Amino acid sequence: MEKNGKPADPSRRKFFGVLGGASTAALAAPLAVGEAEAKESQNDQRKARYRETDHVKTFYRTNRY
Amino acid sequence: MARMKFLCDADRCIECNACVTACKNEHEVPWGINRRRVVTINDGKPGERSVSMACMHCTDAPCAAVCPVDCFYTTADAVVLHSKDLCIGCGYCFYACPFGAPQYPKVGNFGSRGKMDKCTYCAGGPEADNSSAEYAKYGANRLAEGKLPICAEMCSTKALLAGDGAMIATIYKERVLKRGYGSGAWGWKVAYKETITV
Repeated sequence: MEKNGKPADPSRRKFFGVLGGASTAALAAPLAVGEAEAKESQNDQRKARYRETDHVKTFYRTNRY
Repeated sequence: MARMKFLCDADRCIECNACVTACKNEHEVPWGINRRRVVTINDGKPGERSVSMACMHCTDAPCAAVCPVDCFYTTADAVVLHSKDLCIGCGYCFYACPFGAPQYPKVGNFGSRGKMDKCTYCAGGPEADNSSAEYAKYGANRLAEGKLPICAEMCSTKALLAGDGAMIATIYKERVLKRGYGSGAWGWKVAYKETITV
């Protein structure tokens, strides 16, 4: 999510929401809270999640025949 | 570093569509979206072949190359993921993808299709691993749980393989060396006589 070395920032999309008056602003506020609570950092997003667990090893073993 | 890949053995796929159903169930994929589908050629004719298709998590992904808002990213284990917060639903990735992987919740013109949805290799998205926010947008994150994609794990004929690319290539090679492939496969002449060769 990086272009020209700058990380993408979706917050700029709320610009028109703020301009749109009280009703639009009221709609945008809970969205902003929801986004902030559970985002991973850029590095965490890209980290490897695959692990060769017993579960995965069993999958490989049973697929050999 | 392991690179996650899918491999579908067209000799084994019996077009049962269980991979499609399991995927939809695991991720609660909405109506109209199929992250995985089974494509059959020469349906009903001798020599018919089926292959289960989804996002192939390309090394140099064309979807990412054309995305005007740069919403795609590739993880360290080579899974191509995207952010639905950044996606504007333009549809460029759909035209760029050679596999037809990107799907949209609504039928419409530019900008009215909704956020793009595609196979995540059961690896979720940018939200915290296995959080409810991640599940709501991208579905389950089985990779973070130490598992592999549900489509491959429950394939009844073991046609669909998933996991470390080097490992599944080894498994496929072992199978071909031991059992043959196509009309040279063990048991082929018993099942299909000698009139059909592939």
